[in-house]
Amino acid sequence: MNAVPAAQPVPVVLEPVYVWELPVRLVHWLLFLSIVVLSATGYYIGNPFFSGPLVMARVREVHLYTSIVFTLCVFVRGYWAFAGNRYARWSELIPVSARRLRSLWKSALFYTFLRREPVDYPGHNGLAGLTYAMIFAVYFVMIATGLALYQVYAPVGSPLRVFAFLIPLFGGLQIARLFHAVGMWIILIFMVLHLYFVVLYSAIEREGIFDSMLSGFKFLPRKTADKP
Amino acid sequence: MAQSNLMGDLERQGVSRREFLAFCASMAAILGMPKAASAAIANAVENEKRPILVWLEFQDCAGNTESFLRSGHPTVAQLLLDTISLNYHETLMAAAGHQAEAALEDTVAKHKGEYVALVEGSIPGDIAGGFCTIGGRSALDIAREVCGGAAATVAVGTCATFGGLPAARPNPTRALSVADAVPGVRNLINMSACPANAENIAALIVYYLTIKRWPPLDQYRRPLFAYGTVIHDACERRAHFDAGQFVEEWGDQAHRHGYCLYKMGCKGPATSQNCPNVQWNGHTNWPVGCGAPCIGCAEPNFWDVMTPFYERLPNVEGINSSKWLDPVGLSLTGIVAAGAVAHGVGETVRYRRGHRPSADEKARADGKEQGKDASDHEEKRK
Repeated sequence: MNAVPAAQPVPVVLEPVYVWELPVRLVHWLLFLSIVVLSATGYYIGNPFFSGPLVMARVREVHLYTSIVFTLCVFVRGYWAFAGNRYARWSELIPVSARRLRSLWKSALFYTFLRREPVDYPGHNGLAGLTYAMIFAVYFVMIATGLALYQVYAPVGSPLRVFAFLIPLFGGLQIARLFHAVGMWIILIFMVLHLYFVVLYSAIEREGIFDSMLSGFKFLPRKTADKP
Repeated sequence: MAQSNLMGDLERQGVSRREFLAFCASMAAILGMPKAASAAIANAVENEKRPILVWLEFQDCAGNTESFLRSGHPTVAQLLLDTISLNYHETLMAAAGHQAEAALEDTVAKHKGEYVALVEGSIPGDIAGGFCTIGGRSALDIAREVCGGAAATVAVGTCATFGGLPAARPNPTRALSVADAVPGVRNLINMSACPANAENIAALIVYYLTIKRWPPLDQYRRPLFAYGTVIHDACERRAHFDAGQFVEEWGDQAHRHGYCLYKMGCKGPATSQNCPNVQWNGHTNWPVGCGAPCIGCAEPNFWDVMTPFYERLPNVEGINSSKWLDPVGLSLTGIVAAGAVAHGVGETVRYRRGHRPSADEKARADGKEQGKDASDHEEKRK
């Protein structure tokens, strides 16, 4: 209260930091769109609740084509975890360094109201990074179960048939189907949380992170920019 | 190799040449060969030396034998296997006791590396194979000797192929498939399904007689001609699936109209076999055709992974996932959303009370006092 002078406006020193490169942003929004489409169509495929001429055929068609977009996005992002800038690196998602583990601990304390200061870092905070790593693991399970379920429709001799090896890994197609259905809810729950934290950081913390996923830039106060 | 006059035998049993050729044509169709191939098949079946067959039965219900006796062209198919070259078959052979066992020993000793072993039933692995013995010898022992000396082994039915019912959880006898019981067995061909379709077994033998090779196999060593297509793709009710027309409960109007059984737990989308095309009992019908969902009997561990048969998804710890997965998923999503709102309220309250500096306030402070970092603010505020 006494640290912030209310009366006299002080020049704000905000520095633009280029955090999210184009592939990251593109993948982000394509993943968002494809997850919305895949969840809606996937829910219908699991629980067909209305009928009409070729409705299931069309819904499955949309689901299968969208899954190609989804899979390519996940693989592009996986590549970018090795080719991208420091904020896109795999080490930002999987905390192995002491710095990232410290950030994980601090952000966990912050979200549970045990710490007052938010974790200032241009990229993902430790907890967010780990969450994204786990959600990408779910994406891989979704892709693997999806391919296992899809390859049975490929004709004998089709290259898609190579994914038949995935079936025993899951213990059978039905188990893969169950994982595929459970995975959708995990991803939807993640989306709710993700959306909330974006609102939290944008509206309450005023860090403008929603805009950053469009422009790539975050505006961060000088000096604090690189503190984990 | 057995030699006999096939056409003479057939005529004695009342099978005309015309019927014999119809059998050959249907075999060509099952194998996915062109119509002209039926002549080559007829020639091969008539003139080729047929391999000697021995049929072993272990932990089974003789269902595959029963199914075979009711094949579409029983006389021809039986003649192929039974009167001509089937040297040993516990259920069908006239001999009994020592005589029967002698026939098996004789075949295994005299025709080592030439005969074909057909195995029905799983092989118990526990208590040194003592759960199933024939003539004082364990099934494991017999299988290793007979299959070990065979030119090829055909596992007939899901028990011999994947363990089947005896191997279902908790598998009290530690039932094994032929592949597991006889490691390294030569030319193993799995004809899964419960029971295996007799037409497919006949087609397998015919393929071998005609082409002189065993057919291409899938990853479970099942012939692609019979197990290459998922049932769902060849199903006569597929149009109803594509139109979103489903049976909702047994005997409803949709069931009477012959709509798709997907919502009743049909495992056709997860099961590969040629049932919709070849059908059963002499092309009379097949399960989905008469309104019963496919139970996935041709797939590995189907008693464990395809159950409950009338639910779309497998149970988790006894809980019906088909019924509960979506409500639970939806509720959890709702709870998380509510938790997020509550957390947001908490954050707002904390922000208002504590006046924790937001990013731009921090920046303002920073702009005023260059060289101070964030942790200093916290102390200053107090």
